Amino acid sequence: MLSTSSLNVSPPVEVRNLTVAYDNDSPILTNLNFTIETGEIFGILGGSGSGKSSVLRNLIGLRKPRAGQIFIFGRDLWAGEGLHLNQCRHLFGMMYQGGALFGSMNLIENVAMPLRKFTTMSTESIITAARLKLSLVGLDGFEYHLPAHISGGMRKRAAIARAMALEPGLIFLDEPSAGLDPITSAELDQLILTLARNLGIAFGIVTHELGSIMSIVDRAILLDRTIQGIVATGRPVELAKMTSPPFVAAFFNRRPLSIPGV
Amino acid sequence: MNLTVEEQIGEARVLVIGSLLVGIPVVNWQPMETLLKKKAKSTCVLIFDLTGVTALDLNGSAQILTAISRAEKVGWAVKTTGLPERFTTIFQLAREALARPMAPPPPRISIMEELGRTMLALGRDIKNLVAFTGELIVEFFRLAIHPLTFNWRNVLTVAERSGVNSVPIVALVAFLVGLIIAFQAAMLLKMFKAEIYVATLVGISVVRELGPLIAAIVLAGRSGSAFSAELGAMRAAEEVDALITMGLSPVRELALSRVLAQFLTTPIVTLIACFVGIMGGSLVLLAMGYTLTAYWVRAIERVSLATFLIGFFKSFVFGFTVGAISCQRGLTAGDGPRAVGVATTSGVVTNIVVIAILDSFFAVIFYVVDL
Repeated sequence: MLSTSSLNVSPPVEVRNLTVAYDNDSPILTNLNFTIETGEIFGILGGSGSGKSSVLRNLIGLRKPRAGQIFIFGRDLWAGEGLHLNQCRHLFGMMYQGGALFGSMNLIENVAMPLRKFTTMSTESIITAARLKLSLVGLDGFEYHLPAHISGGMRKRAAIARAMALEPGLIFLDEPSAGLDPITSAELDQLILTLARNLGIAFGIVTHELGSIMSIVDRAILLDRTIQGIVATGRPVELAKMTSPPFVAAFFNRRPLSIPGV
Repeated sequence: MNLTVEEQIGEARVLVIGSLLVGIPVVNWQPMETLLKKKAKSTCVLIFDLTGVTALDLNGSAQILTAISRAEKVGWAVKTTGLPERFTTIFQLAREALARPMAPPPPRISIMEELGRTMLALGRDIKNLVAFTGELIVEFFRLAIHPLTFNWRNVLTVAERSGVNSVPIVALVAFLVGLIIAFQAAMLLKMFKAEIYVATLVGISVVRELGPLIAAIVLAGRSGSAFSAELGAMRAAEEVDALITMGLSPVRELALSRVLAQFLTTPIVTLIACFVGIMGGSLVLLAMGYTLTAYWVRAIERVSLATFLIGFFKSFVFGFTVGAISCQRGLTAGDGPRAVGVATTSGVVTNIVVIAILDSFFAVIFYVVDL
């Protein structure tokens, strides 16, 4: 078992010359380079079909990139497979868009599962640790609820609690605001901000929700499939002021690039 | 990670030394447990000395707080001391999070309550199935009155998928069942030099009972499960709701063509199953030196028109049953991808149970009316 503490001299994520492609198709993104720093909330932004979810699948060890390297706390994620890849996967947590909680388990069992599988902690300590994580994300009192019996926002918070189970220094979030009302979305943003600032967890957020981007993201990259790469990098407030390239201005000002039929 | 216990008069000191991080071998709390057991009855002060903690995360904090909670439960007054400044924030965060009340575990459901709930669910299930069958029969009548308003091409497509494509697997199972029955019967009848009656046995049993049963059960597993899964997935994707909001009936638009296709193809598949099943039995008698002609003459001479029609009639009923139950399960599936699996399993199991019940019912009825 790895501990992030021994590796915290390296940044949580370092991506070098990454080429992203679907299985046998031509590359959709090439030569991506970016770094996520400790405690940073980093946005991977882009329009629908820009390839941001494919980048995420490369980052979390689900699909091997066509070329390039991904370092998670200094370890080359794709340097090996099997045990090496699994050890690297313990260095980060992941929240899927719909939560991906196990439907047959209540919330405390969902959060406790990684601890049961990968630590030798006593059952009592595991339950305490799982309760603690649920309480931190504001789900105290819902420990015995099944995922089907809670709201979408609560499922996402429970998924963050599960992602935190093994105390990773890095958590990836796929579309955290998708399908949530503005209040719940703002509450989730606040939770991410609190966890990043209080616990020093780095977050890699894949999203296109402008509200969340502007309120919590420290730094972001904007992907554009037409140029097959990163069209802009920087703080969201700076990106929002850019007038060119047109795609960046259109994205941050919520404007159409071209009006269909005109 | 190290833990030592120092005992003094009226108090004990637990020294936690080292790193409390996930991935580091966890604390062995045994010395403290021994102390708690030894002094369980006398109230003492227990001091957790955390001066030696070199690293701490939330899980490590959870371990310390669990130990504190255990000591408090046996009546010890607990104090913590010496936690290095850099860990106080995380420890305090954990302590505050755990101070919030936890929900009580859900009450256990008694066997009687569980039984009651199951019976109620079964009752609801039967009612829904009967209502669905009624709706389907109404649609059948509507179709008979206005046959040209229906898209028959759909029926042909489904018939090809659920009927024609099922023939190889139904034939294989029927062939093997015919062979097995003939082999087992031949072993017995050979002792009486009456092995030729194997043909009669195989002929009657396959045409009247096994042919329709094999076809229905294999079709329930192959085509019926596909119906439940398809319609369940459509329901999960809100396609069924979309039909309803357009003012269209899901039974007419989705179920009718499938049930009709199953109703019409099952008898044909059953006939093939009967033929292949009898052929399977022939192998045994061929191996015993009889000719194929002798076997076939014996096999079909005792199969009366009534026997054939009984088997044929049952195949229509089984076809309708498989189609109707599978579609009903799919259209009433719950939400989410898990519901599709539940609907499919439920469809196959219900089909097999209902087919067995119907077959028994027919056996009694035809016996009573002397057929």
